[in-house]
Amino acid sequence: MKLDTSGLESAAPLVGASSGFLDGFADAPSFEVPTTNDFDGFQKEAIQMVKPAKGTTTLAFIFKEGVMVAADSRASMGGYISSQSVKKIIEINPYMLGTMAGGAADCQFWHRNLGIKCRLHELANKRRISVTGASKLLANILYSYRGMGLSVGTMIAGWDETGPGLYYVDSEGGRLKGMRFSVGSGSPYAYGVLDNGYRYDMSVEEAAELARRAIYHATFRDGASGGVASVYHVGPNGWKKLSGDDVGELHYHYYPVVQGAVEQEMVEVAGA
Amino acid sequence: MSQAAIDVPKGGFSFDLCRRNDMLAKKGVQQPSYRKTGTTIVGLIFQDGVILGADTRATEGPIVCDKNCEKIHYMAPNIYCCGAGTAADTEAVTDMVSSQLQLHRYHTGRESRVVTALTLLKKHLFSYQGHVSAALVLGGVDVTGPHLHTIYPHGSTDTLPFATMGSGSLAAMAIFESKYKEGLTRDEGIKLVTEAICSGIFNDLGSGSNVDVCVITKGHKEYLRNHLSPTPRTYVSAKDYTFSKKTEVLLTKIIPLTEKVEVIEAGDAMEE
Amino acid sequence: MSIFEYNGSALIAMVGKNCFAIASDRRLGVQLQTVATDFKRINQVHDRLFIGISGLATDAQTLYQRLMFRHKLYQLREERDMKPETFASLVSAILYEKRFGPYFCQPVIAGLSDEDRPFICTMDSIGAKELAKDFVVAGTASESLYGACEAMFKPDMEAEELFEIVSQALFSSVDRDCLSGWGGHVFVVTPTEVKERILKGRMD
Repeated sequence: MKLDTSGLESAAPLVGASSGFLDGFADAPSFEVPTTNDFDGFQKEAIQMVKPAKGTTTLAFIFKEGVMVAADSRASMGGYISSQSVKKIIEINPYMLGTMAGGAADCQFWHRNLGIKCRLHELANKRRISVTGASKLLANILYSYRGMGLSVGTMIAGWDETGPGLYYVDSEGGRLKGMRFSVGSGSPYAYGVLDNGYRYDMSVEEAAELARRAIYHATFRDGASGGVASVYHVGPNGWKKLSGDDVGELHYHYYPVVQGAVEQEMVEVAGA
Repeated sequence: MSQAAIDVPKGGFSFDLCRRNDMLAKKGVQQPSYRKTGTTIVGLIFQDGVILGADTRATEGPIVCDKNCEKIHYMAPNIYCCGAGTAADTEAVTDMVSSQLQLHRYHTGRESRVVTALTLLKKHLFSYQGHVSAALVLGGVDVTGPHLHTIYPHGSTDTLPFATMGSGSLAAMAIFESKYKEGLTRDEGIKLVTEAICSGIFNDLGSGSNVDVCVITKGHKEYLRNHLSPTPRTYVSAKDYTFSKKTEVLLTKIIPLTEKVEVIEAGDAMEE
Repeated sequence: MSIFEYNGSALIAMVGKNCFAIASDRRLGVQLQTVATDFKRINQVHDRLFIGISGLATDAQTLYQRLMFRHKLYQLREERDMKPETFASLVSAILYEKRFGPYFCQPVIAGLSDEDRPFICTMDSIGAKELAKDFVVAGTASESLYGACEAMFKPDMEAEELFEIVSQALFSSVDRDCLSGWGGHVFVVTPTEVKERILKGRMD
C-alpha cells in the first residue's frame, strides 16, 4: 500500500518533466504505509520508537530592516544532551532560512526537499520563489502526511519581491503569516523577552541583541535549550550570519559576577 | 502516646506514602527501579562442612553500581547466607534474622541451628507473599551436622547437597551437575564453587567482578573475601588528566574544625 | 518520565587522603523548567558529616528533617556525634521502613570518622547501602558521573587536587544533562577544616 500524494503537488508545469532526468526530484517522496488493522496504534508505537528531540528554542521576527532569525543549538534525548552544536537554522537558499524544532530528521529532510523545490521553481519560472509560495509548498507536504508521525515546527523566513516574509509551518498542517514567532520548548521564555523589547523601527544591531537576549533567557530557564545562540539577519541582499555566542559565556556577560573574598569563620579565642 | 514514640518507630514497615505513590503511578509516573543483585550465588556440602560462594556485582537497571559488593551475609558464627534479588531486601532480611538468632543465643546459651534460621527466614518471606524479593542460599554447620538450604522469595525452601540461585544459577548449576560428587575435600570444594561462580560471572550479564567464598566447618569458618578476581581492570590511564581551564570559584567559605579533646576533669574540680 | 527526573539533580562524593569531597549541582527544576539556581542539596549533619539527597525535592527535604530529628535525639541521649557508619545505617533503616511506599530519593553520605578516616556511601530509594572505597554518585546525571569519576579518580589525593577532580567530573557530567547543572556546590572536608565553595558553571 502506498500513499499517493501526487494530487497535492503544485501543478507548476515543468519543461521536459517527463523526460526522466527530474524523476525522483519533482515528485514528493512517498513512503510505504504499513498494512495493519490498528493504524493509529502502530503510529503511536512508531513515534515512541523514534522519539524526536523536542527541546529547542527558535525565534524570528520582522522589523524595519528585514527579518531576524535566531536559535539555540542543543539536541536532547530525554534528559541526555546529545549535542551542543546543532545547526537549527537551515539555509534553504541565499534569500531564505528555515528553523528547526521537533524531529531533527524530519526538519532536515523536508527543508532540503523544500530547497530542491524552490530551486526547480526558480529554473522553471526564471525568478525566485516567494516566501509565501515556499512556505505553502512545505505546508502542503506536511499536511499530506498529517497524523502519520512527522514532527516539525518551523519558521520560513526570507526576503522576496514583496519584502520580508515570515511564516510559521507545523506538522499538524498549520501555516501562519506573522511578524513575530517563537517555536520550541523554550518559546514561552523567548516570547516574554521578545514581546517586551520588540519595536518595528529597530536597527539591525538592536534587533540582533534582542534576538540573542531572548534566546539566552530561554536557554537559562529551559532545560532542553542551550549551547550557542546563533543570530541571522535576512535583508534585501540575502541572509547573513551575525553572531554565534556560547550562552555559557553570554550569561556572565549579561550578569557579571565578582569572585567573592574567602570567608573565614572566626575561631573561638581560647580563654576569652 | 508521645510524639517521639510515633516518630521513632519500633520496627515494621510504614505504608504512609503508598497512597501518594499510587496516585503518582496512576498519573503515569514511572516507578523507580531498585538496586538488585542480579547474581550468581551457590553453596555445596563437602566432607567437613559447607562452602558458600557469590559474585560481587550489584546492578541498577543496566548500570553496574557496585563492582565489589558483599553478598555472603553473616547470620551466626556458624551460619552464613548468600542473598540474591533486591539488595535492600536481602540485606534487611538477613540482618533482621541474624539479630533474632543472636537474641536467641543469649536466651538459650547454645549455638544457633541452621533450621532455626531457615524457619525464621521462610516465615518472614511467606508472610509478605513474595513482595520481599529475597532469594537465599543458607548454609551452616551446627550440632546436627552440615546443612544447605535454598529459600525462594515466596517462602518455599529446599534442602540440597548443592544449590545455586540468582540470574546466573543455570550457568553455575551446569558446573555443579557435571562435577559435583559426595565427599569432596576442602580444596576440591573451593575449586568447584569458584568454578561455578566464574561460570556465572562469564556467562550471565547480571553477575560479574570477583568471587567471594565462605567455608564453614565444625567450630570453624573462613570468609575468603575476593578469593579470585577473574576480571581485573586492564585500562588504567597512564598519565593524569589535565584540565584546560581550572574550575572557577565564586565563593569560598572556610569553617575551621576544633579538635575534639577529651576533657579529663581534675580531682579537685569538684571542690566548693 | 521517572519521578527521579522531576526536579533533576547531580551528586558526587569522593575520597582523598584523610579527606573527602561532596559536591552537587545547584538547579531545582520542575521537569524542564528551571525554577531556582541556588538550591541546596547537601546538608551538614554535624561538623564532619554531610548528606546530599538526590531525587524528588519534597521527599529529600522531608527525609532530611526526619534524619536531623533522629540525629539530634541521638546527640541528646549519647552526648556525642553519630559516626558516619551509624548514620548510614540510620538512613538505611528509615528508607527501608518505607519499602512498599518509598521516598523517591537517593542519598549520598560522606563523613570523617573519629580517626580521620573518610567514609562515603550511597543508597537506592529503599535503603540498600553501597559502601564504596573511591567514589559514589547519584542523581539524573549519575550515568555520566560514573564515567567521569571512573576515568578521573585516583587514590590518595590531597584536598586541593580532590576539589579540582570532583569539580571537573561534576561539570563534565552535568553539561551532558538537561536536568542538572546551573553551577556547583562543593564541600571539601579535612580533619582541620571544612572548605565550602560555590562554583561558576554553564547556566544553560
